[in-house]
Amino acid sequence: MIYTDMVCPFCGCLCDDVVIETEGDRVVRVDNACTLGTHKLMTTRKDRLKGPIMRDGAGGWRDASYEEAIEYAAGVLLDADRPLLYGWSSTQGEAQGLGVSMAELLGGVIDSTTSVCHGPSILAIQEVGHPGCTLGQVKNRADVIVYWGCNPTEAHPRHMSRYTTYADGFFLQNSFRERKLIVVDIRKTETASIADEFVQIKPGGDYAVFSALRAIVRGRGAVVPPTVAGVTKEQLEKIAEICKSAKFGAFFFGVGLTMAPGRYKNVRNAIELVDELNRHTKWTLTPLRGHYNVYGSNEVFTWMTGYPYAVDFSRQIAFYNPGETTSVDILARKECDACLIVASDPGAHFPRKCLEHLASIPTVLIDPAQTVTTPLCRCQIPTAVTGIDASGTAYRMDGVPIHMKAFLDLGYPTDTEIVGRIFEKVKEVRHP
Amino acid sequence: MRFLFNTGRTVAQGIGLDRKSGTEYAGATSRCMMNPVDMMDLDVESGDHLVVRGPAGEVVLSVVPAEGTPRGMVFVPLGPYANHVLGGETHGTGMPDFKTQTVEIEPTEREVPTVTELMEEIGGVAYEQGARP
Repeated sequence: MIYTDMVCPFCGCLCDDVVIETEGDRVVRVDNACTLGTHKLMTTRKDRLKGPIMRDGAGGWRDASYEEAIEYAAGVLLDADRPLLYGWSSTQGEAQGLGVSMAELLGGVIDSTTSVCHGPSILAIQEVGHPGCTLGQVKNRADVIVYWGCNPTEAHPRHMSRYTTYADGFFLQNSFRERKLIVVDIRKTETASIADEFVQIKPGGDYAVFSALRAIVRGRGAVVPPTVAGVTKEQLEKIAEICKSAKFGAFFFGVGLTMAPGRYKNVRNAIELVDELNRHTKWTLTPLRGHYNVYGSNEVFTWMTGYPYAVDFSRQIAFYNPGETTSVDILARKECDACLIVASDPGAHFPRKCLEHLASIPTVLIDPAQTVTTPLCRCQIPTAVTGIDASGTAYRMDGVPIHMKAFLDLGYPTDTEIVGRIFEKVKEVRHP
Repeated sequence: MRFLFNTGRTVAQGIGLDRKSGTEYAGATSRCMMNPVDMMDLDVESGDHLVVRGPAGEVVLSVVPAEGTPRGMVFVPLGPYANHVLGGETHGTGMPDFKTQTVEIEPTEREVPTVTELMEEIGGVAYEQGARP
């Protein structure tokens, strides 16, 4: 079978032009996807758990039924005083919604991978707003592209060919020649090597460079010293001129800003630079989101609770205070006494100090495959992968919801079904 | 020697992402990319092992020369190896020091551990499943 116009469930680009060929329940060919997407689609059956597994109490593991694992998960959550429900980025919007409802009933904390990714970007957006646009606008109009603190060649390999440097634009005669590419980073990455202008900043210097650019764009360049964080004033003036003379500029940034010293203040300064540039021409700003539906978790959490991530229901109302109610902080303080992880892998991506606590409390993992978190949990429930053997909704990095289609049936339940069944058990004890 | 510990994505790390129990993923995330001049100072060659010490502990990685990495900085693909040395401080933002930690690095003869060994060291229990056809 050949399936066309399929949506890739890897990164926030959500490429929707993928062609997949199957023989039986095997994927034999993938066209149009990048290395990352192709690999995920081609190897989807490998390492999937056959069924739920639980610790056997004797230092090993045993197989379990779905019913038993769901019963265990519900019991763990009901017994806990401060359960943490974490993950939610590589799953469908439908499961995210149920997760929020369950967290509310349990009086727990629900957080997505946003808190270790673009959480600080959202804090900045809450301070000064988000001058965003859809990627279609960027593709068809943008003649200056900035990638700051990110490396799309490695992390979003089709971003440049679908939306920026290598993409044809409706309002551009010769897109490749007409688009200028500016890359700003602390090291010379693959993306930097194809830039028209590469700006190498000393680590931790982003905030100062944004401030210098804002001063130059505003006509106050006289206050800028000869070098700022290792960047010459001459180069800053050149960049400012390119940005001001753009017809349509698109600013993309990655976790190079959100994880650097200054965190959300870097992003705030970036947004304010874009604000400044909009006094001269049209500029927009978009965070490069990682997981294919991490944006969806922010959307779903926000429309249900008012807050985009790190929502704490222990006060019977939605409370949000990143730095306090974010997963890394809760785990590092050894505060939660049970954890449900859905569709993410903190074992690989959380600092060791957090994992030591995660391993010491009853942790239940809902994930299709064996991951680094598997050894740390007490019970794992395998589910279908959205976009492969489950359909559902995901949000692209520019906030556009896209329906993910399924093309295989491997017999696994969906995340929505498993979270829903756990929620039903919780409701039997704790009535809404 | 002291280095700024920078972690982030690489294609090889991303490819391994959905098959983290594989050796490819371990190989892709236990690399420590370093400026060749710093490698000379440490007297190590490509493939030699380094012990990296951070606030939460230490981990053994293998060194890879990378001219794009400035002196005084190492770049390690994000994953269980990089996180094995990181603490839980977020400076009130929820975001740990994935790119801003200072670490101590020196050459070692010790072997690079497996991902399972790393997880067992922090209290995990290894799971082995027979491979699917």
